[in-house]
Amino acid sequence: MDLFGGTLDVITEEMTVSDDEDRVEDRPTAFMDKYIENTTMHATGVQATVPVSSFQRFSVDTNESLHFEPFIPEGEENELTPGNDDVFLTENQDESKELMEGRTAQSESDSPDAYCTDCQTPTHAFKKPTGPHKNHRVILMKKAAQEIKNDISKTRSKLEEKITQMENFVSNLEEIFITVEENFGRQEQNLEQHYNDVLQTLAHRYDERASAQEDEKKIKLESLYNQLIGCGKMMDDSKELIEQAQALYRNENKYAFLQRVMPIMKRIEGLAKEEVDLKIATSLEFDVPAADLSDVKQMMDTINAVPAPSAPVMNPQIPNSATCTSLRVCWSLFSDDTVEYYELYSRPIFEDITVESDLEASKVKVKETHYTVTDLLSNAQYEFWVTATNTTGISPASEKAVYMTVPSPPVIKPRECTSCPEAALIRWDSGNTNPVDSYTLELIEMGAESSTSTATESIVAIPTCECLIQLQPGKCYLIYVRAVNIGGPSERSQSFTVSTTGTLFHLMEDTAHPCLSVSEDGFTMFYTDEELPLSEMVFGDNTFARCVAVLGDLIPVRARHYWEVEVDPHTEYRIGVAYEDTQRNAYLGGNNSSWCMRHVLTPSRHKYEFLHNGWSPDIRITSHPLRIGMALDYDKGTLSFFNADLGQHLFTFQCQFLHYVHPCFALDNPGALALKNGIKAPHYVTLV
Amino acid sequence: MMEEDAGTSARREKRFRVQTSEKSDVSMALVQVSSNKCCGGYQKVFEHDSSELKCKMKFAIYLPPKDLVDLYGADVITKAGLTCTEQNFITKAGSQQAAAEHGIILVAPDTSPRGCNIEGEDESWDFGTGAGFYVNATQEPWKTNYRMYAYITEELPRLVNSNFAADAERVGVSGHSMGGHGALICALKNPGKYKSVSAFAPICNPMQCAWGQKAFAGYLGPDKSSWEAYDATVLAGAYSGPALDILIDQGRDDQFLSASQLLPDNLIAACSQSNIPVVFRLQQGYDHSYYFVFSFISDHIKHHAKYLNA
Repeated sequence: MDLFGGTLDVITEEMTVSDDEDRVEDRPTAFMDKYIENTTMHATGVQATVPVSSFQRFSVDTNESLHFEPFIPEGEENELTPGNDDVFLTENQDESKELMEGRTAQSESDSPDAYCTDCQTPTHAFKKPTGPHKNHRVILMKKAAQEIKNDISKTRSKLEEKITQMENFVSNLEEIFITVEENFGRQEQNLEQHYNDVLQTLAHRYDERASAQEDEKKIKLESLYNQLIGCGKMMDDSKELIEQAQALYRNENKYAFLQRVMPIMKRIEGLAKEEVDLKIATSLEFDVPAADLSDVKQMMDTINAVPAPSAPVMNPQIPNSATCTSLRVCWSLFSDDTVEYYELYSRPIFEDITVESDLEASKVKVKETHYTVTDLLSNAQYEFWVTATNTTGISPASEKAVYMTVPSPPVIKPRECTSCPEAALIRWDSGNTNPVDSYTLELIEMGAESSTSTATESIVAIPTCECLIQLQPGKCYLIYVRAVNIGGPSERSQSFTVSTTGTLFHLMEDTAHPCLSVSEDGFTMFYTDEELPLSEMVFGDNTFARCVAVLGDLIPVRARHYWEVEVDPHTEYRIGVAYEDTQRNAYLGGNNSSWCMRHVLTPSRHKYEFLHNGWSPDIRITSHPLRIGMALDYDKGTLSFFNADLGQHLFTFQCQFLHYVHPCFALDNPGALALKNGIKAPHYVTLV
Repeated sequence: MMEEDAGTSARREKRFRVQTSEKSDVSMALVQVSSNKCCGGYQKVFEHDSSELKCKMKFAIYLPPKDLVDLYGADVITKAGLTCTEQNFITKAGSQQAAAEHGIILVAPDTSPRGCNIEGEDESWDFGTGAGFYVNATQEPWKTNYRMYAYITEELPRLVNSNFAADAERVGVSGHSMGGHGALICALKNPGKYKSVSAFAPICNPMQCAWGQKAFAGYLGPDKSSWEAYDATVLAGAYSGPALDILIDQGRDDQFLSASQLLPDNLIAACSQSNIPVVFRLQQGYDHSYYFVFSFISDHIKHHAKYLNA
């Protein structure tokens, strides 16, 4: 033990000597600790703590915490992480029990089997109740190791996180550094160029001015020279004259003198009279024009000022960025430009050319390169353009870009939706005054519990306001519709629930005879006693004119359909199916485009007919049906009638229906018929 | 006359097994007379000693293909009319196709005891042999052998159920003419026993027609009150029990209809009164022959299948 302690001390000393050797020194130290741990030593726990604490000191002193972890051999970490014990300060009875059960050491001579988290030292479990760790939290070595390992891994992951953050930060910094450097370089280049420009301009100016002065100088010198020559000549003339005069004066011959003196005298007088121009012919002053340095000054000014930005570029509309009242408009600038703010102009585009499009463009000041324009009309086009402004000036306007708001959500028309176990026909109103590109229908199958909805299925690019969708029988679906234009899809419409239990349809009230009224829920038909004068009846193109009848809007799916009608025993009725174009001025069943069951009250009995083309088989029915089930099977080409209360089969028409048929209902005397819809077809309908 | 016994269809039985009698009092020994494959199944004829009729009796049974029996698994019994044997129905009615489709066993018994050596037995076609009228005779010399009602409603079903593992709970009954009468009275006298009932041109009100009066007087004696127990119209007026859905087809050009032997209007009136659901179809141009039965047998098999396979 002494040996180990000694070695350790040496190493610790070495540590303090040279920080550079830290890494190298970690290994032996750690190894040493491991050795201490694993060897069956005749050492007390106190002794063992000595190297440990010194190691801790080392690790702290050397600030090597980042590196220190990988060098810790396993099983050792518990001793190496101080600190977190305060978490465990509360005494735990379970732990004490566990401690007592798990102890292995029976005497001091055995290796420590427990660990005091307060003192951070290994100890013996059996000493716990009495020893120095009496009031401390002492746990089994194994457990302590695990706890401390956990702590370490937590710390490690925190550190790793921090490192990642730091790395990110560093890379950000690097980016910034590069950007700054680039910008600086660009600025420098810019400045140099500018100064070169200025210097060039100045040099040019200098050359110009110098040559101008040179010319002036030459002219002046020439004129002076000429003057000088003139003076010289005059002096020569005068001198010659004086010499002549002197020569004459000295002449002894008076006669000759007198003879000749007069012209000379005249000339002298003349000369004397002649005023000599002694003024310098040219101005000595050079004409120096005031140096016009304003342009240079401007150039100098622009060196420091940022250039006015160039026209920004409008970005095309980003999909799904619009709503029905707002648009997110984006544009971009040239990277060299400095912009203080932008001004975004917008103006609606009306396809209708009668509307004047010279509406005032609205303008808004924006700091960013995007702006969300609100309070717009839905499904409408707007054009946008933008200018950029900085201290120097304003850029030209960008090109105009056209953006489009998304449409308003469509409105599903529940009364015009129809379904059967295999399919549903959904119809809706566009919800927008102007056309949209297409519609999207979303379909969610409701789970067993109504709250859990499964995946959404979408049908896209529906060109019209209706869609026939395939469904699974016996399910419940939530249906939404969205309108789509180039701006993106609208919000969802109100949901519509389709239950594929049975066939469901509504009455086509536009086909109803004027005397036939339909209840508010759309499923009960009345033929009232009140006589309506013929003049008050309004017959449309599509209304039944003779038979007090109405058609139902059955889904156009060649499948099996079932519906029921509740009748009164005293009502005369015709119920069945008819082609949509069945004659409106004929009685149902009286032609080859309708098939129906007719109930006639005779004074003696109830008579039932199954009419098609005006013919009925002779059939007696003893039990008067009050709820009549009708089963239409396109595949088998059958239309069957049942007494639904009894499950009694009444009659089956055999006919290959060439077109889609619609349920038809007619009243031959005042009364009511109640349509029962969305009913699961009874099993027996398939057995006929 | 013929009686048609709609076959009891055995549910899960692949092959029938001929058993010795399990019940000591009834002889269950069946002797196969013939067996022919038909529509994927088998048309067989068996002979046995009848305890009710005290003579040898034959009955025909159609066993539909095994897989269909498994699929549907329902049972029916049917009867034939005046003068007929078990052969008439199976050879003329064309019922096997539809029975095979719906997995229904068809049982067609004879119409009366045969070879009992009763005086006057073979004197007329509408009384005695071939004209048992499905009554339990009370008058000498008929009362020992002419117990067709008991034979049809008790002995034969027991025989079929024990030998073919047919579902005793799901039995329908049908018949033509006298057999139609038999089918109607079996159903009306035993509420709930037959899940389905149908008839072709049945004798609806035998008490009011010449055939019925002759047979009833002979078998049951002059007391007309005892006749009422075997008259469908009378029984319908007094019926109370589970709703019966009765399908009746009648040829419009039936010579016996115009001869007032069948009297369906009386039955319809009675059923209307007691609210028994009947669909009565007067088929234009058809007469009383088996061509008429053949034309509508599949509707009737479907009618039975609807209730038996429910």
